Amino acid sequence: MRPDYDKSPRQIGGELVIPIVAVAFTLYFFSSIWNSPWTAQVSGFLVGGILLLVCGIFFVRCISQLMSGRASLGFGTLFSMQDITSRRIGLLITTVGYCLLIDRLGFTLTTFLFLALSMLILSHGKRPGLIIAISAAMSLGGWAVFIWAFETRFPSGWFETTMKAVLANG
Amino acid sequence: MGETGTILVEVFFQTISYWWVIIPTIFLGLIVGGVPGFSAANTIIILMPLTLAMDLETGLIFMVSLYCAARMGAGIPAILVNIPGTAGAAATPLDGYPMTKQGRGQQALAMTFVASSLGGLLTTVIALATMPILARVGFYMHSVEMIVVMLFGISLIASIAAQDMVKGLIAGFLGLMIGSIGTDVVYATPRATFGFLELYDGIPLIPALVGLFAVSEAFVIIEKRLIITDDARKAMATPSWHATFEGASIALKRWWHIAWTSVIGLIIGVIPGAGASIASFVAYQQSRSFSKTPEAYGTGHPEGLIAPESANNGVTSGTLVPLLVLGIPGGATAAIMLVVMQFHGVSFGPSLFENNPKVGYGMFMAMAVSYLFMMFTILPLSRYMSRVTTVPTIYLAPMIISFTLVGAFVPREYMFDMYLALAFGVLGYVARRTGYHVAAILIGVILGPLLERYFLWSLKKSDGDIMVLFSSTLGNVLWVCLVLSIVLPIWFEMRRKRREIVTQ
Repeated sequence: MRPDYDKSPRQIGGELVIPIVAVAFTLYFFSSIWNSPWTAQVSGFLVGGILLLVCGIFFVRCISQLMSGRASLGFGTLFSMQDITSRRIGLLITTVGYCLLIDRLGFTLTTFLFLALSMLILSHGKRPGLIIAISAAMSLGGWAVFIWAFETRFPSGWFETTMKAVLANG
Repeated sequence: MGETGTILVEVFFQTISYWWVIIPTIFLGLIVGGVPGFSAANTIIILMPLTLAMDLETGLIFMVSLYCAARMGAGIPAILVNIPGTAGAAATPLDGYPMTKQGRGQQALAMTFVASSLGGLLTTVIALATMPILARVGFYMHSVEMIVVMLFGISLIASIAAQDMVKGLIAGFLGLMIGSIGTDVVYATPRATFGFLELYDGIPLIPALVGLFAVSEAFVIIEKRLIITDDARKAMATPSWHATFEGASIALKRWWHIAWTSVIGLIIGVIPGAGASIASFVAYQQSRSFSKTPEAYGTGHPEGLIAPESANNGVTSGTLVPLLVLGIPGGATAAIMLVVMQFHGVSFGPSLFENNPKVGYGMFMAMAVSYLFMMFTILPLSRYMSRVTTVPTIYLAPMIISFTLVGAFVPREYMFDMYLALAFGVLGYVARRTGYHVAAILIGVILGPLLERYFLWSLKKSDGDIMVLFSSTLGNVLWVCLVLSIVLPIWFEMRRKRREIVTQ
């Protein structure tokens, strides 16, 4: 049997994020329908009411665990050293950058930059040649299939405009 | 052999002679089905000029094959990387992905190919045989009955939440609340749109799907070098067709399960406005409710994979029934088929089978032949497709993020949808890390707005009298079925436990 001092309290801080978001969103939802016709209210109040009730039960359960010392308010389940060692934060930043830049640089170029940069970050800079080759192949493949073959209106930039002109004149 | 029999045989052989259209279209369908944001419907729209340039038979066979293959293709990434290609495959990863993580990805793919093909094939035959009866189902399904059908799907939240009921219900009801964003269906009053015009139509499904499943999964998988364990990778490295045959055999042994869950798909497919997502959730919930081992669901249980996959392929033939018999499309793809067929001068409706029987029967035959071809062309691919899981996550995760985020952009072509997918990705990631089920959130987002729409229509019809929900005979029968499907499994489980205690 494991001794008692090995049992550290369960960290429930992270588990509270979703219920807190749920309560905040429900209250915002209620505020947005307060003066609306009943058709806009009925479903929101019904579902939101149940959601608030269930969140309330969850909060009571958490408080009981905190008071009995079985849980702490730590965020270990949500943020940990692994987020830094696995370079997850780097991937998140490049993902946000991808969304922000794709409208300006176009699909192909942004996808290439995103793939290359995020793979380099995740691989700790190892095998740059392979990574650049994979990124180029994937982004050009994506351009060929989605933009050239299917004529999907992906965000276009310098590369797409140039290729369109080249293909039109070729 | 009667006149209809002669036409069917003739159409069958004629359809087979179009193998050169069917086989490439199947592969195209698998690709478009597998990429979130692409679907049979928008691919047919993109290729509309090509479809219109084809002759009637070729165009018809092309569209039907693409539709069936895309439905099956959506299950492939759902099984391999936990990312459903469409909302119709949202229940597939519940058991498909755990199988992949156990190194049974090849087996799971073979299982899903057999279940989808057999389910599709069987329901096509049933639809052909019972078309006039099935076509009437839509007439009996009013808003009250639809509410109960939705509740069948939504009750899956409770099943998913079984391990921690409170957390499961929070996830499910949060999904329902998010699904209520947008304008109400009666007065178009905006609700909780944060001032974004892009949200007035409600939460778009593809960004929600991409964010909750794909983006969040990409952030989770980078903790490991590979999706699967090293032992599973070593087992997969051994060249063998064994897993494919084993998967196919597991599915074939459960032929009865495939049959009844695909019939659920067929019936739900017939109802205009319902679709593959409702069918797959309902089939999964029913399969779990009446299983002798409900606790095995969610852990990589074959029946948990077979049920949604047979059901969502059963939907394909179901959506054609109201289109052909009544001229009412049962879904988006059927609506586009209607447009293309009308361009060729074919008018749908009760007179179709008298004036143009070869077109009417031809569409079902194209579906049956496509499923036959799929069974034999795709099954061998399961071995190679499952190799995706051996790609190191440092390469796989960025690829998943980039291609699915762009997929979120495709349906509406709003940059906003990419940001929305990212926001759902963060929500999904937090949910995964803290023990909330993303599938429960997604069920709410998908079924919530539909449930609200039917609920409001019912209340409008009855001037706000809630008792309208129990006013129809069929509705009441469905209510009883719903209650039984929830209560009976609990009762059986309690009885089993009591017996165990007695025998001990």
